[in-house]
Amino acid sequence: MKAKHQRLVLALVAVGAIIGAAFLAMSALKDTAALFRTPSEVAKGQVPIDKPMRLAGMVVPGSIARDADGVTIRFLLTDEGATAPVRFRGITPDLFKEGSGAVAEGRLGADGIFVADNILAKHDERYMPPQMESAMKSEKDKAARQGRRP
Amino acid sequence: MNHWPFIIAAYAITIAGLAGLTLASYAAMRRAEARADAVRKSR
Amino acid sequence: MHIFANPNRFLGIARPLTPWLGWGGAVLTAIALLSGLFLTPPEQLQGESVRIMYVHVPSAWLGMGGWTGIAVASLMQLVWRHPLAAVAARAVALPGALFTAICLVTGSIWGRPTWGTWWEWDGRLTSMLVLLFLYIAYIALAGATADRAGGSRVAAIFGLVGAINIPIIKYSVDWWNTLHQTASITLTKNTIDPSILWPLPIALIGFSMLFGGIVLMRMRALLAEARIEARLKRMADA
Repeated sequence: MKAKHQRLVLALVAVGAIIGAAFLAMSALKDTAALFRTPSEVAKGQVPIDKPMRLAGMVVPGSIARDADGVTIRFLLTDEGATAPVRFRGITPDLFKEGSGAVAEGRLGADGIFVADNILAKHDERYMPPQMESAMKSEKDKAARQGRRP
Repeated sequence: MNHWPFIIAAYAITIAGLAGLTLASYAAMRRAEARADAVRKSR
Repeated sequence: MHIFANPNRFLGIARPLTPWLGWGGAVLTAIALLSGLFLTPPEQLQGESVRIMYVHVPSAWLGMGGWTGIAVASLMQLVWRHPLAAVAARAVALPGALFTAICLVTGSIWGRPTWGTWWEWDGRLTSMLVLLFLYIAYIALAGATADRAGGSRVAAIFGLVGAINIPIIKYSVDWWNTLHQTASITLTKNTIDPSILWPLPIALIGFSMLFGGIVLMRMRALLAEARIEARLKRMADA
């Protein structure tokens, strides 16, 4: 039974190691920057300059502009507290659009502009079919024409 | 980007995984229960 | 609960129940997936890719639910010494691991056209991957340390301790800045439009029934193997 006893002890040690590693991973994730920083943290000066990191927020409507070279784009990210300018040269995901969430991967420049080398789109927890508002509006119009309440 | 190849891939993997495990579990159960019955009968 | 302690009582219920769960689950799953493919609208931002939700979300819930089941069964094994508990826990592990893997793979496939990446080490994705590793460790451990009745104390302790990961997964999107969005469905709110939502509960019930059918089949196989072992031992000792 000695060998079996040893096997069990080894198994317990392995188990402990797996759990310990998992907890380490979790606490490391928590202590170092979370997946991304926010424009408010940039405004408060909590974000290091020229270090690889991610910056996320909502793309400010009307802020996407294309540079003269035709490839570089500039836009603003906001988190309702502050706004941060971003510059990016490359292809953006389909879901990257104004009024929608985005995650920029890159570095914060000393001039306060975040230079991104990759853009991810981030969406919230809502799920809506397309043309929801126009469908509701046409229902109201139809009801009004027929003289009944919508 | 056309999303349909992604949708098909996700559904195919799901169906293959579920069907595969269901069939494998069924086969293993039949084998084990048949053997248990055989052993029980062989006094 | 303890009326199932006698395996013959359990088998008396499990045998007729298995085909109902298997076929019923398959039919409901087929209805849900066909509905999700052809009867629901695309999402206004994510487009057609939203249809992946009908396979990804139930898999996520069942992957987490599976480990919760292992934890409950482990508790019943250690504290109440329920004789079927260890067998139940072992039977749940592989389907639980499969659903977790399906969740991770379908999630990755969904992420590529929407987020623009196959994977990021954010809190939600990382903790779900940890769950898969825990399942694999549990399966190896339970298999290596099983006693003649099919149980294992070490695996039961692992099953209980590993359960800490479940609330971590659930609250990861609230505790940390994550790429994965926060919960759409909670006890108090739902942010999925009904036109998109309706196949999801059908998929969840169908997947759950398949899960239940698989667990019953695996329990029956484990119990049959235990019977074989006991019979062979008795014949050898005679």
